[in-house]
Amino acid sequence: MLTRLVHRVQEVALGRRTSYEAGVLTVSSDAAAALFDDPALGGVTLTWASPGQSMRIVKVLDAVEPRTKGPGGGGIFPGLLGPPAPQGHGETHVLRGAAVVAAGFLPRAQEAVVDMSGPAAELSPLGATSNLVVEFTPADDAPWEAVEVALRKGVLALAVHLADAAAGADADEVEELPDPSTQPGDLPRVGAVINLQTQGAFKDVFVYGRSFSGGLPTLLDPGEIDDGAIVSGQYGHPALKNPTFVHQNNPVVNELRRRSGQDLQFAGLVISPEPVNMADKQLISTFAARVCAAAGFDAAVVTKEGGGNADADMALKMDALEDMGVAAVGLFGELAGADGTGPSLVVPPERATAMVSTGNYDSRLVLPAVEQALGGEDMRLLGVPATDELDLPAAVVYCSLSPLGWGRYTATANAS
Amino acid sequence: MARVVHYINQFFAGVGGEDSAGQGPTLMDGPVGPGKKLAELLGDEHEIVSTVWCGDDKAPDAADEIVELIQGAEPDLVVAGPAFTSGRYGLACARVAAAAAEAGLAALASMHEDNPGLDEAGAAPVVASGEVARRMGPSLERLGAAAAKLLAGEELTADDGRIGKVARRSVMADAPAAQRAVDLVLTRLAGDRDATEIPLPRFDSVTPAAPVDDVSQATVALVTEGGLVPDDNPGNLESARATRWLRYPLEGDTLASGSYRSVHGGFSSVHANDDPHRIVPLDVARELEAEGAIGQLVGEYFVTTGNGTSVANARRFGIEWATDMRKSEARAAILTAT
Repeated sequence: MLTRLVHRVQEVALGRRTSYEAGVLTVSSDAAAALFDDPALGGVTLTWASPGQSMRIVKVLDAVEPRTKGPGGGGIFPGLLGPPAPQGHGETHVLRGAAVVAAGFLPRAQEAVVDMSGPAAELSPLGATSNLVVEFTPADDAPWEAVEVALRKGVLALAVHLADAAAGADADEVEELPDPSTQPGDLPRVGAVINLQTQGAFKDVFVYGRSFSGGLPTLLDPGEIDDGAIVSGQYGHPALKNPTFVHQNNPVVNELRRRSGQDLQFAGLVISPEPVNMADKQLISTFAARVCAAAGFDAAVVTKEGGGNADADMALKMDALEDMGVAAVGLFGELAGADGTGPSLVVPPERATAMVSTGNYDSRLVLPAVEQALGGEDMRLLGVPATDELDLPAAVVYCSLSPLGWGRYTATANAS
Repeated sequence: MARVVHYINQFFAGVGGEDSAGQGPTLMDGPVGPGKKLAELLGDEHEIVSTVWCGDDKAPDAADEIVELIQGAEPDLVVAGPAFTSGRYGLACARVAAAAAEAGLAALASMHEDNPGLDEAGAAPVVASGEVARRMGPSLERLGAAAAKLLAGEELTADDGRIGKVARRSVMADAPAAQRAVDLVLTRLAGDRDATEIPLPRFDSVTPAAPVDDVSQATVALVTEGGLVPDDNPGNLESARATRWLRYPLEGDTLASGSYRSVHGGFSSVHANDDPHRIVPLDVARELEAEGAIGQLVGEYFVTTGNGTSVANARRFGIEWATDMRKSEARAAILTAT
């Protein structure tokens, strides 16, 4: 069993020394910058962006919730910071209300936007957190792959550095997370199947520090993802991405935990890659369904990461699950065009047709001008300064169509 | 009193038939032609303040101009048709309604469900009309009732004769998606196999054409969605979400490297630009022509970009290609895809 010791962040600041006291999180820029000391990086700049401010973060990359196992806890983010040993038990300190956010140019990354106020703020999980934004300069001649690795490790180390400051404080809340039930009972046994996008450098997801590309579906202890077993290096599809922050707080897993013993039994968590070719998609889908059946799932919630290509993984997997007697429900962002009349899905399931909509990718939004922007000078996509009013599709707003089910955004034919 | 503007074509405006099909949009006061009966059906609460008509040949590509005229009359609702199964008129009604809706006006079109314009109405609703103008009476009754319902602020459903695609809009749900997904799991486990937030999309099923009897006698066209154009892209073909297709001559036996490039934005075009035959296989096709394996090649190729292309545009390209080929000697086409 894993216990989350939650420390609420009420106020943030930069200061001489990193500390957490009575809800105030202060960060030393020097101590933080030292964590990015890497031959691939020229330097970093740290700035807080908090809810309600007239601020925008552009070119948003990964976001991480500050967490630590505390002194002697065995290491969080196993395989990247800690040793690659299974985690997910004992105690984990969580700084709730804060995030460490990398922002800037990387190849293959698609420009993502977070607004700290205005209509887009409620569409992103980062609209409600105080974000320590890390802007970076690559070292001269450093290969981009090395820049990405240095940045990813630095962001994780900074997240741990912040949480370590709270490890001695009393927790505001103590959350005891039940393990999935292995015993049959009267309640339906419902699990989660989480697809991870695995499409090579800059579009890859790491499990225990290893790229999950080429992997096979497997069961994880849900506590393992609380402890950072899944880390994102996937910078495409801003609206349809699953950053590390949302994996750490997996909304489907949290909902299954919340209801376990009430109207269902939480049966477990299966992770699966999203390979790029059709034969692999078919093989992986059958494999995932077999793992779920073997683990005794009566039903599964299936989630994806990415656009139309990932719809094929969803459809094949959902149909394979139902063929093995496991009821399946999938979460989909819709690609219905700006006027909402195009086909919602690229590849729909044939038999497992129960789907939840996380909104239409192409819905237009107008984001008002802001006083300050971090992450870059411009929105290259629109060719305008980053602080300007932006007229763009929901597709560009970070996690607005969260495939892990974070948000309330949805699309319907019944609204006017 | 609500203000309604009615859109019709030159024929129903009483201007003329095919001889007047090239005329541009014109604004007239009050109801005209079928609008008179429609005005009666709308009763005293609503008034058809103006009618805009346009020639059938002109109208499908003049929707924006037509909507500008309509906006001048400050309508609460734009009504277009009924267009029955008339293709050009249906396309015009649909595009006028779509453009009006895009401009923020309430709009409604009427046509038969086999009308090729049906899918072009964008966010505007369409209600069914009869197949031919002989069914004008009942078609107007349905249109009038639907117009009144829209003006009352209500949504149209299948019960109102609504046909075609229904626009899906993004809104905020009461609960997070993860919670709704778990709810849906329990609903499905309880035996409801139809529950879903996303209805299955209806994709066209295409019946393949019969095989060509004798390919050695057939004239064959080369067609591609690979975005291969002359190097300076003279027709400004888009890299994604194409709205057009283009034709370029096939001269000689090969396509010179460096003279062509693919503007397609959905794949790395390095190899295509290196050897354009990877997209348009003129070299091999010429060999087959010389061997007598095919009759002869059409002297030009058709090209568009298949990358995020809307289904409506893709369907239109297909219709235009088929129409074009039927008028030529071509009896077979090779479509190279990327």
